[in-house]
Amino acid sequence: MKPKKSKGPLAIKTLIFGAISGALYYLLFSNVDWVTTTYTMGGWHTVYPVGTALIFSFVHGAFASNFLSLLGIEPKGGH
Amino acid sequence: MKRLVLTLAIMLVCCFTASAVLAGGGGPPKNLIKGFFIKVNPDHTAIFKMDVTGEERTLKLSEDIKPEDVPMNRKVLVTLKTEGHEITNEVKRISIMFINLPASKVVALLVVGLIGGLLSGFIGSGGAFVLTPSMMSLGVPGAVAVASNMCHKFPKAMVGAYKRWKYGQADVKLGLFMAASAIVGVQIGIQIQKYILDHWGNAGSNLYVSLMFVIILVVVGTYVFYDAYKLSKGGKEAETTKLALALQKINLPPMIHFKQAGIRISIWFTIPVGVATGMLAATIAVGGFIGVPGLIYVIGASAVVASATELVIAFVMGMWGSIQWGLSGLIDIRLTLLILAASLFGVQLGALGTTYVKDYMIKIVMGAVMLIVSVSRGAKIPGYLADLGLRPPLSPETTALYDAISFWALVAALGAAGIIISAAMIRGMLQARAEGS
Repeated sequence: MKPKKSKGPLAIKTLIFGAISGALYYLLFSNVDWVTTTYTMGGWHTVYPVGTALIFSFVHGAFASNFLSLLGIEPKGGH
Repeated sequence: MKRLVLTLAIMLVCCFTASAVLAGGGGPPKNLIKGFFIKVNPDHTAIFKMDVTGEERTLKLSEDIKPEDVPMNRKVLVTLKTEGHEITNEVKRISIMFINLPASKVVALLVVGLIGGLLSGFIGSGGAFVLTPSMMSLGVPGAVAVASNMCHKFPKAMVGAYKRWKYGQADVKLGLFMAASAIVGVQIGIQIQKYILDHWGNAGSNLYVSLMFVIILVVVGTYVFYDAYKLSKGGKEAETTKLALALQKINLPPMIHFKQAGIRISIWFTIPVGVATGMLAATIAVGGFIGVPGLIYVIGASAVVASATELVIAFVMGMWGSIQWGLSGLIDIRLTLLILAASLFGVQLGALGTTYVKDYMIKIVMGAVMLIVSVSRGAKIPGYLADLGLRPPLSPETTALYDAISFWALVAALGAAGIIISAAMIRGMLQARAEGS
């Protein structure tokens, strides 16, 4: 039998990243008029959509990764 | 030291990318303008306020646009008619830029995003070929669909590439070399497209894209599928092709050692594969369909390493494309983030799925997807032939039938891939669990 790891810290991490991700989604969609106008101004404003996509992928990606681990879906060999 | 080399390589690619961006090419068509209609005049013209500059233009409405159909004070994309190289002042088409997003459309985007991500994490590419048409069928204008999809592709590829690098599968160095040459390929692909568009118009361009799509997908897809079938029957591990072994033996400086892939090969053989990937990306938007088989059969990487490395290429190229589309202000970030919400789960699931399956499973999924997608594009060819006058026009019923075949073949490709990957992954996990206990 493999020793079972405690899932406590993982659950906390999942919760934190999930909360940040949820807050970011809420923030963006509750200001959707400002966002859609500003993000589509063109020129240097390209920083907005590209940067936002990057930030969301870090936060939401970390949430997804922790969430999958919490469900016990891990790669073979547990990398 | 290793990090320094990596940083330098990334900087090199970024410089190259920046120069390619500044050199132009790609991006939206020049006859597309963005802004608001503020007044429709009785003489069948309308006052249009351009976005950003605020400049007001009087545009002529084409005969089939009724004055009451012109949306007022909503951000729109206007396609202007062209005559040869000249862009006229006449409105050809008006599309609402930001579609309404009821719950049904949100769910549709999440589902397609999840399966697209799963496919991308598993075979290194995919998703784009079905996401863009799906978004368009939800009412998103074509240019916005391509732009928003591109902006979701690079962060997704980044997360996927990171995961697969952690599993020891992605060769970042090989990916960066390939990406740099792929960017050159994109430029060549765009020039070919422009040449065809100038000489044979939109219908000619559509026919060229579809023919390329069908020929490449059928030939390469059949080979990949046949190779996977042979491996699954024989139960043998995949061997490096004779072509790749022969190329690796040719000592043509500079020779590069790609540690993760376990290959030492001349840069002169990686460049053509990279360029071909870029050309295909510029033509049919899915460079991975040539990039992954190229890495396997020409360079000599295993399917696992090839599909993981393709994610590095997709990240660099997706970032470059997103900056270009963002410069024109066509990214609908709502769509990007909704797809991303699900695809970030999908891509990580697909990536970890590769650790449970045999190498040939990746080839089976890739071959199957390529062949089903080719049916989708093949169904469009009769319509384009009719547009060019090379066959009698199609009846509206026949056109609708071909369109339905085309759309449902894409759905089938995605569905089949989702089922094969999930089944293989669950089987692998159960087996690993049984062995572990």
